[in-house]
Amino acid sequence: MALRYIDRQLNIADYALSGFKRRVARNVVVVFIFALVIFMVASFSLTTTSLKQAAGRLLETVPDITVQKMSAGRQVNLTEDAVDKLENIFGIRSVRPRVWGYYFDENNGANYTVIGHPKLSEKSPLPGLGIDYLPEMQLDTVAENAVIGRGVRQSLELGSRRTFSLFRPDLTLKSFITAGAFGADTSMVTDDLIIMDLQAARDLFGLAPAEITDLLVDVANPLEIDNIADKIGERLQGVRVVTRERIAKTYRVAFGWRSGFGLACLFGAMAAFAIFAWDKATGLTPAQQREVAILKVVGWQTEDVITLRFWESIIISASALGLGYLGAWMHLLFFDGVLFRPVLLGWSVLKPPVSLIPVFSIGDLLIIFSLSVLPYLAATVIPAWHSAAIRPDSVI
Amino acid sequence: MEKYYNRGGSNQVHALRGIDLTIDANETICIHGPSGSGKSTLLSILGGIIGPTIGSAVVGGKKLARLPDRFLTLYRREHIGFIFQRFQLIPELSVLENVTLPLLPLGVRPAQQKKRAMELLEKLEIDHRSDFPAAEISGGELQRAAVARALINDPSIIIADEPTAHLDTRLSEDFLSIMSDLKKLGKTIVIASHDPLVSESPVVDRCLYLRDGALAAAF
Repeated sequence: MALRYIDRQLNIADYALSGFKRRVARNVVVVFIFALVIFMVASFSLTTTSLKQAAGRLLETVPDITVQKMSAGRQVNLTEDAVDKLENIFGIRSVRPRVWGYYFDENNGANYTVIGHPKLSEKSPLPGLGIDYLPEMQLDTVAENAVIGRGVRQSLELGSRRTFSLFRPDLTLKSFITAGAFGADTSMVTDDLIIMDLQAARDLFGLAPAEITDLLVDVANPLEIDNIADKIGERLQGVRVVTRERIAKTYRVAFGWRSGFGLACLFGAMAAFAIFAWDKATGLTPAQQREVAILKVVGWQTEDVITLRFWESIIISASALGLGYLGAWMHLLFFDGVLFRPVLLGWSVLKPPVSLIPVFSIGDLLIIFSLSVLPYLAATVIPAWHSAAIRPDSVI
Repeated sequence: MEKYYNRGGSNQVHALRGIDLTIDANETICIHGPSGSGKSTLLSILGGIIGPTIGSAVVGGKKLARLPDRFLTLYRREHIGFIFQRFQLIPELSVLENVTLPLLPLGVRPAQQKKRAMELLEKLEIDHRSDFPAAEISGGELQRAAVARALINDPSIIIADEPTAHLDTRLSEDFLSIMSDLKKLGKTIVIASHDPLVSESPVVDRCLYLRDGALAAAF
């Protein structure tokens, strides 16, 4: 019995497919318009997911807690002795000083982010950055080693060269040699980034020997981050203590409301299409009415005709979903999500270009399916109930 | 049995009046009469497409009028092969696809569908046109395709409504020859026609004359 049911479904689906081919011009137009609507929704969704993932990768580079000194509402430099004040807080695994700042290259008008990291000389993996160190890195010239982003390399027009120079505040030149490259998937974070040793960064910015920009705190138990952040705030006066979760929340809010706003606008397009589909499904052409009447006379029941309409709708909506989703994927992969990047990135369009990588998420696909295929099925199959009840004697 | 259309309304039509008719199994009946006499209505009732207003049609012990629409469809599927006045094939479908239409909701597999359909088309000598769209075949071929579709479920009753209305004499005779073969297979055949070629054919056991919705004579 189950086999007979499956065979019946396959037969009717096959007939629906032949019907699709018979009215190919009309159906192709419907599929195209539907695919376009799905393309917009899917592009938005994929761009958002990709950005969230890129932001997630960025967050991997962010320590559990960042401690910054504030004065008159602005960040000012700390001294390295702050490390000693925090190291004995129970639960802290490590406290690292960091020097960072922006370097303005007058030759080409580019801004680079410079980070001095105490672990660069150890060829440390530096979480989230995926540094691929060159084997030629010379430990005895550690002060001059630097890892630069793709955008920096292009701005400096290095080509295949490894050495470059930057100006200190007193306009003397400091030389560097590239010691590695960042992972290709970290471009959002590293495109304009230069990482060097801590002392080299101090030297470049003309800072005092013990001066640092902020402190990076790693915590043994992630559940204790908030508690430890409170303790740090009590231990050091006049500091701002920023946890990773707070930064993540900022990103979520930034992308979340933009994404929601964009989707809300696209809902209008989906609703309009559903209304169009409903309107189309409620009115059959004389030829279609005749076909239903013939089917009823030769022994098709009303439920068979409804099943036929269901399969017709499945064919159209599945085709549109496949095309729309594939188009959205290609839009992101080959065109970098050009349609929706400005909406989602906002001010970030000023940043160096970021390649977005589409991320397949079954959850996102199910959402797109629910927003496209299900409403279309409802808009077409429900009116089909009425048209399936056509009396067979209309062909007599 | 009586049949009214739009009963009680200003455009009421009394299509059938006082029909009292018995058709035996394996009998071939011709219902003869002018246009508008109620032939198609009577055939529709016999074929389980519509029901009478008053009275009932009993076929094989089943009162058709009392059956819900779902069971009427099953009844048509299992017992009736209908041949329409204008054949009513779906023009974009091929002959083979038209013939196998009644088999689709039964879950018959495609290979079996094709086998059964081609056997019929071979008997009716139009197997060479099986892949042609119905819109591209001749009137005689359409007729044969319509007969094949009507026979695909091996029904016991064949109902034909003005089957020769759009055919020339030769094709009409071909049709009667097919009906003769079906009669030999034990089918019960009811043909509505005002074509004397049909009413006077030796295939027909009995001819009924319908006028203004009433049976006027039997001969």
